[in-house]
Amino acid sequence: MVEDLRSGLDKNIRLLIVDDEETFRRTIVKRLQKRGISIEEAGSGEECLSILEEKPMDVVVLDVKMPGMNGIEVLRHVKERYPKTEVILLTGHASTQDGVGGIKAGAFDYLSKPIELEHLLGKIKQAHEKRVREEEKRREAEFRAKMEQQMIATERLASLGTLAAGVAHEINNPLAIIKESAGWMKLILNKEEMADIPRKGDFEMALGKIEKGVERAKRITHQLLGSVKQTDSVCSEVNLEELLGETADLIHKEAGNKNIEISHQIDPAVGSIWTDPYKLRQVLINLLTNAVHATGSGGRITIMIEPVDERVAFIVRDTGQGIPKENLNKIFEPFFSTKPPGEGTGLGLFVTRSIVEKLGGKIEVESQLGKGTIFRVQLPRYQKIDEKPAQNDHVDNLKRVFEIN
Amino acid sequence: MIKIPTKVLLVDDEKDFVEMLSLRLQEAGEKVSAAYSGRECLETLEKTRIDVVILDIKMPGMDGIETLREIRKRYPLIEVIMLTGHGSTETAVEGMKLGAFDYLLKPADFEDLDAKLEAARKRKDEHEERIRKAEASFLLRKSGDI
Repeated sequence: MVEDLRSGLDKNIRLLIVDDEETFRRTIVKRLQKRGISIEEAGSGEECLSILEEKPMDVVVLDVKMPGMNGIEVLRHVKERYPKTEVILLTGHASTQDGVGGIKAGAFDYLSKPIELEHLLGKIKQAHEKRVREEEKRREAEFRAKMEQQMIATERLASLGTLAAGVAHEINNPLAIIKESAGWMKLILNKEEMADIPRKGDFEMALGKIEKGVERAKRITHQLLGSVKQTDSVCSEVNLEELLGETADLIHKEAGNKNIEISHQIDPAVGSIWTDPYKLRQVLINLLTNAVHATGSGGRITIMIEPVDERVAFIVRDTGQGIPKENLNKIFEPFFSTKPPGEGTGLGLFVTRSIVEKLGGKIEVESQLGKGTIFRVQLPRYQKIDEKPAQNDHVDNLKRVFEIN
Repeated sequence: MIKIPTKVLLVDDEKDFVEMLSLRLQEAGEKVSAAYSGRECLETLEKTRIDVVILDIKMPGMDGIETLREIRKRYPLIEVIMLTGHGSTETAVEGMKLGAFDYLLKPADFEDLDAKLEAARKRKDEHEERIRKAEASFLLRKSGDI
């Protein structure tokens, strides 16, 4: 029987026994030690609480009748401060009332003295199991809540994207009319017979503004349409070192102007990855451009590529201004921008995230105000090939068609 | 240098757009005809000599892709530039696979359009030139045989 129980109890359990009778305490401690179970001891309620302050415990075995702070009082404190810790009360012979009151106050159970060690061990085991179960439940609930939140966010982004793309499409036609009309007026204004009309400069100025406005609107609509376009990934084996070099080159000039140092490291164990190189490059360019914009003169940007199980992680770390906490879950939404109007479309990260998800990966962000930001993109090593026939594409693919032509 | 006007047919159901772009192209020295549907486009091609068609993809009734197919079938030498207000460049790609010369996203830059127009016109001219040469040598060989 002893052996059975012995195997049943987790050796790593954190135990504390609280009793003012030293001999009783010592006996329990010794007998448990014989079985390879260690238990801490306290001679009073006060001592018990001060130990708990230092070390969290799984199960506390607590005598009710003690001078000073009695067991029920200690129990209340314990449950209040450490609700996860389970308490087993030890009551005097025939004082079941104490035990019942204790259970009402949150004790796991009670045992009446004199106790049998096997009983005590059984109870400890049950209490511990309860604790483990509750911990699991809590973790599961947390996980579920997180998943739900993520799903809501994803759905929200998807519907926002579809709506935005529809609007963008409808706007392109009137934009084209405005653009042609303004261009036409400009053309006329530049004719010889118009050379001397009064206030010509005013017209030119206003026409210039119209054209600039159209350009801005066009940037938005084209980016939006780009984000939701069904794209036909053209996957190939991508040489990450080359890709990284190319991408860094593209960003180098802008970074150089701000005196930002860009360094990159590739873990040689990373190997190769099968994905759409054009899209992956767009993702990296978007993240790097953001990093350059967020980083002040003399800052640093680090790009790292490393293997993570069956995936590859791309990490872009900057020493920039960081993102305030309240903005962290908004940055992937369309039109969220902290740049002045006209400078950012608020679509960069939205598009980036759409691409990453289409490539079967995920993107995460970590940021500390004033210290910098880390974007982490994880992509599967092998992109699943879309089984739909090639009826979709991307501007990049088109460019490739051109090059072949 | 005198510019030889390119004979352009502009096809789009957006009338205001057709009107304004026509004015600009005419001002730039091209000879522009307009059509507001795929059907009308094919009718115009029957009656008028055209070098390059600028063709909107999304039109009610006969859409741009259908119209393009007909154009390629009936007038294989005419070059077509696709216009799309859609992000759906996939249709533009389809168009290019069907033989369109190039595509443009609306709102397009006039300079881009102008450059593509020139290039399309050039390709058509060269193509016709090769046909002429081939015909000539064919005729020569034939007369040599006699």
